[in-house]
Amino acid sequence: MGLIGSITLLILASCSNNTNEVVVYSSVDQIFSEPILKEFEEKSSITVKMVFDTEETKSTGVMNRLIAEGRNPQCDLFWSGDPMRNILLKSKGITAPLHSIAASKIPSFAQDKEGHWIGFSARARVLLYNKKLIAKEALPQSILDLTQPQYDHKFAIANPLFGTTTFHIAAIFSAWGTEKGMQWLTGLKKNNVTIATSNGDVKRRVLKGEVAMGLTDTDDAFEAKKENSDVDYLFLDQEKNGLGSLIMPNALSLIAHSPHPENGKKLMEYLLSKEVESQLAQSCAQMPLIKGVKTPKQTPSLEHITPMKIEYEKISHLLPTIQERVQSWLEH
Amino acid sequence: MARTLKYLLSGILGVLLLAPIALLLLQWIGDDGSLSFLNGKTLSLIGHSIAYSSIIALVATLIGAVCAFLLTQFHIRFKSFYTFVLLLPILISPYIFAVAWKDIFIAVGGEKVMDKSILELIFIHSLLFFPLAMVIIMSALSRISASLEESACMITSYPRAVFKIILPLIQPSIGLSFVLILIFSLSEFSVPAYLGINTFTTEIFTQFSAFYNTKLALSQSILMLSFSLMLMLSEVKILSDAPFFTVDMKGNRTRIHTLDKGKKWVYGFLNTFVFLALFLPLSALVYQSVFAQETFFIRAFDLIAPALVNSVILAFFGACAIVLIGLWSAWLKERGRYSLPNTILLVMFIVPSIVFGIAAIHFYNTPIGNFIYGSMLILIIGYVAHFGFIASRIIANGYKQLPPSLEEAALLMGISPLKCFRKVTFALLSPSLFAAFVLSFVLCIGELGMTIMLYPAGMELAGVKIYTIAANAPQALTDTMILINLGTVLFFIGFFAFGGKILFKRGAHE
Repeated sequence: MGLIGSITLLILASCSNNTNEVVVYSSVDQIFSEPILKEFEEKSSITVKMVFDTEETKSTGVMNRLIAEGRNPQCDLFWSGDPMRNILLKSKGITAPLHSIAASKIPSFAQDKEGHWIGFSARARVLLYNKKLIAKEALPQSILDLTQPQYDHKFAIANPLFGTTTFHIAAIFSAWGTEKGMQWLTGLKKNNVTIATSNGDVKRRVLKGEVAMGLTDTDDAFEAKKENSDVDYLFLDQEKNGLGSLIMPNALSLIAHSPHPENGKKLMEYLLSKEVESQLAQSCAQMPLIKGVKTPKQTPSLEHITPMKIEYEKISHLLPTIQERVQSWLEH
Repeated sequence: MARTLKYLLSGILGVLLLAPIALLLLQWIGDDGSLSFLNGKTLSLIGHSIAYSSIIALVATLIGAVCAFLLTQFHIRFKSFYTFVLLLPILISPYIFAVAWKDIFIAVGGEKVMDKSILELIFIHSLLFFPLAMVIIMSALSRISASLEESACMITSYPRAVFKIILPLIQPSIGLSFVLILIFSLSEFSVPAYLGINTFTTEIFTQFSAFYNTKLALSQSILMLSFSLMLMLSEVKILSDAPFFTVDMKGNRTRIHTLDKGKKWVYGFLNTFVFLALFLPLSALVYQSVFAQETFFIRAFDLIAPALVNSVILAFFGACAIVLIGLWSAWLKERGRYSLPNTILLVMFIVPSIVFGIAAIHFYNTPIGNFIYGSMLILIIGYVAHFGFIASRIIANGYKQLPPSLEEAALLMGISPLKCFRKVTFALLSPSLFAAFVLSFVLCIGELGMTIMLYPAGMELAGVKIYTIAANAPQALTDTMILINLGTVLFFIGFFAFGGKILFKRGAHE
């Protein structure tokens, strides 16, 4: 009886529909996003209920949860590490439009015209390298160079079917066209590229010296540098009229018919603040999109990087076709 | 009245566990329901995956059988220790095991040979799954009456008696181990995904998580489920009565042989597998945790402590629910000759956790089902679905050893059925109930595939936290968190073992 009573109490306690709460699903690495959400909880007195997932876990949890919950949403706000997932959710009618009051401070490339997603602090794709295994002057300067014979067996990329690597490959295909993109991928394979399971795995392989270099995100590269001073990173394709580096802002979407829309909006406005951008710059070297945000010295600045000129929505539409070709590339 | 209650409770169990899967099947049939996705590529992938998993099942069953044989048939010093440590790999998450072994391969330079090689998958899966074969075959061996073997040894040599008497008697358990490991290896995705090896499970996962093509992933899952069911049908009689492990063999005696020659080979064999399956991967984690540039113990503890508390509470309630349902199902099967709940638990046992996760979201995430979906109840239901069968079989084995005459005598004396259950059945079944509870507790605390899909918003759980934090945290921090988690599980196993010892000693005195 005692057991049944305890279970009942626990159920009642855990499913009480408190109006003073907000439910956030996040595919941004928990180690960086959780402290920010907890701080909001302290400042606003709104209880934040979080569900985490990461690119490493392929975002299976939150994305499939959001899609499956479509009829009866449990989540108020989706915080993603890049806008691709938000655009997919928009196409499935899961997100709600909202024009944030912070929208004017965010560059237009980093927000949806209809207000289904809005970006803030960005990461970029970089080449992480192990200084013990490759000299700085021997490093490639463009992703095209990775097909050169001197880099045979020397580098890794994460599985291009998942996470930000999918986004990167899709952006490259969008810039070059599918045929040139496929030629490049074939060149990588000829050069015996190591396919890691994730960006985190690329980082681990470079840190351990298993490969000399690998394509990853700035936050992974920043963490790798903190872990071991033998590694460093560089932005590729920075020459004049070069392809540029892929810039990936975090993206927020309000969920349509969510249980606590007002609190969702409050959390959204909080996350779009200078204060949060500054915190993300400190903790994981994310580059602020709002002008005038104070950043530590080691955080790269968007002003000094040549960005890839892309349209997120266009890339998102290209994604299913590209992924099929990438899958067959992986299998052959 | 009792019959109505039996049918009603079976119906509720069916609705809670089977209905989500049935609904998913109906949706699949309604959407398309065809096998049009079955092309040459898919068939080849299925063929390869079955071949890999068959090799794994063969190797793991062989290792498990040898370990079980040595530990049951011979006088081995520190037998309990060997049994315990050889069973521990079951408690380590396959993903963590793969990470540790990958690091070892890299450290010893074997990575160049093993990278993306199927050998790596066979090696890791075999080490992960052999304890399952060991525990099943040990149970079967301990049920063989010593008199049979003694009679055989009077007319022939011991090795011949092994081949002519013991092996045929344990053959069903060997077959069962092979089939179960084949099914588990086939549906396990985290190791092949981490190693970058393409299997049918990783293909399902890719469709599900990269293409968000739930329809195709579901069709493929149904194909895998059908294959597992087909395999299971061949062993259904044995599986339905599977011993898993028998806690206590009342009135049974096994012949124990003294080791003369070959002592060093026997200890060498056991030590090799203790070393490979536990010591080496654990040492890799400890090494990376302790010898990192920075020590993360305090940070790791701060991060994982609240999640661990939740995990322990959830595992406690999960294990209680599993044992209650397992007891009811075992009682109905052994005493009531009614096996529907046992069959429901048996079917759910082989449903891949990711499929149940999706099915449960579709079924329970409704305004009416919110009290389940939005609370820890959804996880408790998931754990009952996944582990209920094991508990049911452990308890049923306990029942098998209780002569029904004891309960009948108590009832004839006019004792009420409830008091009879409390004073006679429960007292005698308590070792089996206790073992089922401890095993369920450990399995609940380590479950990840379904938990990550279903855990309620705002509820931190240790396994999920380690998995999500591992993405970008320094490896030493992740490894320290894994070790704290493992230490907690071992603490609770020790605590339960100690508590059980005191409890059963007191019970015996009474």
